Amino acid sequence: MEHVEHTLTTVTPLITAIFGFILVLMIASLAAEEKLHAKKSVIVGVFAMISLLLGSILGIIPFGDIIVAGGHHIEMPVYIPGIDWKVISIIVGSSVFVDVTSKSGLFSWIAIMLTKASKGDPLKLLWSYGIMTVVFSAVLNNVTAMIIVGSLTVVSLGKLEKTGMLLAFLLIEGLLTNIGGLLTLISSVPNIIIGGTAGISFVSFFLKAAPYVAVATCATIFMGAKIFKIKPLKTEEEKAEAAHLIQGFNENDGIESKGFFWFSVVVLIAFILTIATTSILPVVKDLGMGFVALAFATLMLIRYKAEADKFYKAIDWDLIGFFMALFIVINVMEHAHVLDAIGKGVQFMIGEGESSFGTGILLISSAFFSSVTDNIPLAAMLSKILASLGTATDSSLWWSVVFGANLGGNLTPIGSASTLVAVTIMHKHKVPMSFSGFVVRAAPFALMQIALATVYLLVF
Amino acid sequence: MAQVDEFESIFRSALVDIYEYNLLEINSVLLITDKTAEEINPYLQDVQRFLGVLGTSVTWDVLNADDFTTTQDLLESVEQANPDIICSYRNLKSEDWIYQNSLGSYLDVLIQKAGAPVLILPHPNANYAHDHAMEDTDKVMAITDHLSNDHRLINYAVRFTQVEGSVFLTHMEDKAIFDRYMDVISKVPAINTDDAAEGIKEQLLKEPQNYIESCKTVLQENNLPVTIEDIVTFGNRIVEYKKLILDHKVDLLIMNAKDQDQLAMHGMAYPLAIELRQIPLLML
Repeated sequence: MEHVEHTLTTVTPLITAIFGFILVLMIASLAAEEKLHAKKSVIVGVFAMISLLLGSILGIIPFGDIIVAGGHHIEMPVYIPGIDWKVISIIVGSSVFVDVTSKSGLFSWIAIMLTKASKGDPLKLLWSYGIMTVVFSAVLNNVTAMIIVGSLTVVSLGKLEKTGMLLAFLLIEGLLTNIGGLLTLISSVPNIIIGGTAGISFVSFFLKAAPYVAVATCATIFMGAKIFKIKPLKTEEEKAEAAHLIQGFNENDGIESKGFFWFSVVVLIAFILTIATTSILPVVKDLGMGFVALAFATLMLIRYKAEADKFYKAIDWDLIGFFMALFIVINVMEHAHVLDAIGKGVQFMIGEGESSFGTGILLISSAFFSSVTDNIPLAAMLSKILASLGTATDSSLWWSVVFGANLGGNLTPIGSASTLVAVTIMHKHKVPMSFSGFVVRAAPFALMQIALATVYLLVF
Repeated sequence: MAQVDEFESIFRSALVDIYEYNLLEINSVLLITDKTAEEINPYLQDVQRFLGVLGTSVTWDVLNADDFTTTQDLLESVEQANPDIICSYRNLKSEDWIYQNSLGSYLDVLIQKAGAPVLILPHPNANYAHDHAMEDTDKVMAITDHLSNDHRLINYAVRFTQVEGSVFLTHMEDKAIFDRYMDVISKVPAINTDDAAEGIKEQLLKEPQNYIESCKTVLQENNLPVTIEDIVTFGNRIVEYKKLILDHKVDLLIMNAKDQDQLAMHGMAYPLAIELRQIPLLML
């Protein structure tokens, strides 16, 4: 798909500087999202409108028909082709699929079974919930994983009369969502964007990320147990009491229909297998992962065909609007040569070709930027820049951005949506947690994870 | 964070109270009457026959009309006897039992102040007792407006039910209160009235039903030869309990009477104790 080019104004350094300023302003506004009391979609939407208007006035945007495969011309608004519909379709499809699947009671069943298996022992519970957070983040998405595990944590610790451990559990779970978000190509939005641009397959992504995720998960839980002094129950009396309390959980309570429950199990496994093999499946490989996600969502919606609209309401339209506006902004920035300028800066920073220094510094700087602002614009911009620099698919630089964008979210409560959810749950249950309090408590974990990732990328 | 609340609700709903069986030891019973020492024996035998489920090793003490003059005397005598169960009837040393409007000052204070549960028997001089009352305890009903985690209530019900008898575990939600809240909800635009009515009704009945299921399981595991029957519903408590007692020929009704937060009797205990005079009531 390409534009039929029209006469365009030459982009001067001044124009690039003006748009660069707009981009910086947008990123700063996103960082101040909480203070502005504005949703991401509105913030970026405003900047998308400004960028389009200014780009049109300055004559840097190529208006005209779009030429699609087969040479057909299509009349389309200039801001539409800039949007990465592959990413949008994966997010919409996955959201609906996960939402409908969760109605089967499958995720709550797994969560309760793991809780019961721990027999109410706090240390076993921490390991169970930690691993569950990672797996759910990888299969679902970070925010949903945090909501499910965080909610269960509140209820089970309440039942065990161990609400004093709420802060430790929620913090560790919040930090682990971003570890789990590294596991697969579709586990987080930066992965989808970077993996898609770099051309990394689902299986290659998993094989590269899995060893790190396993080690980082164990290290985080182990460190959390030590720092927050979460110890196993000692006496037989304590163990019996905790086991009795936790046995009160009925794992079948949320299952409305056994048939739909098992159908969901089968479809979830099929979804994971299809997503994993999309790049090699005939026909499906051409339609892509977005199609797979939407097709499975539609399949699940058949169960609720008369009330499908309820699930459409559950889609995070703020996130979708944010993506669309963001892609429009980035598209305009490309035309204004802002990405070229940043690319030169990145190239200067990482040096020519691929080096250990470049890999490390890109990971650390990505982590820093994603800790203070949204990691999605960072991933979107850096993926375009790395692609424009001709970075090979197997280059460690892609992984620097993947690890940096995901792990940076653990440095501050605003660094990722899932850590923000963790803090929100803390506040809901009167657990005091300020911005600086979070940074102080999370920093040892985040720095350990970033250091581990840097070593991992440099060694492997 | 509506989704956080949604999942917390799912997990809270999945967390059910599990009944804990505990065999209650009842070794001593104190019968308090306003009869004279000469009149007491036939009545004592009636009560002993009725409470045959307690076994023959139980020690029986009696306080007659001559043993107390004031409420203070009575409380001191009870404290000295330190029984596991107190048996008595309404309007001691008074003819007010004919009006059927009060418990009488002795019983009223006794229920609140005595450490042991009080078994209120139908007044021996009145003829309003049901035919099946005071015969045996093969049908015992435990009643509450919050049947969940109330192990003590169930344990008493099980202890007083004779072999092969039936224990009715009854949870009655007050329909008038429910209707009042639904009326308020119907005036709040942000809440869907039908969804709220359906969801709240379902949850109100689900909790006691789950608890009763756990009672059945635990009692079965302990090989107790009683049958558990559940009645979980909405209605007017006085009317419905009267009807249930008649329909099922209930021999003994058990309910909680003490409330740590107030000097007066717990919730519906007082009105039920006034109204349900036809069978014995065990007030915990």
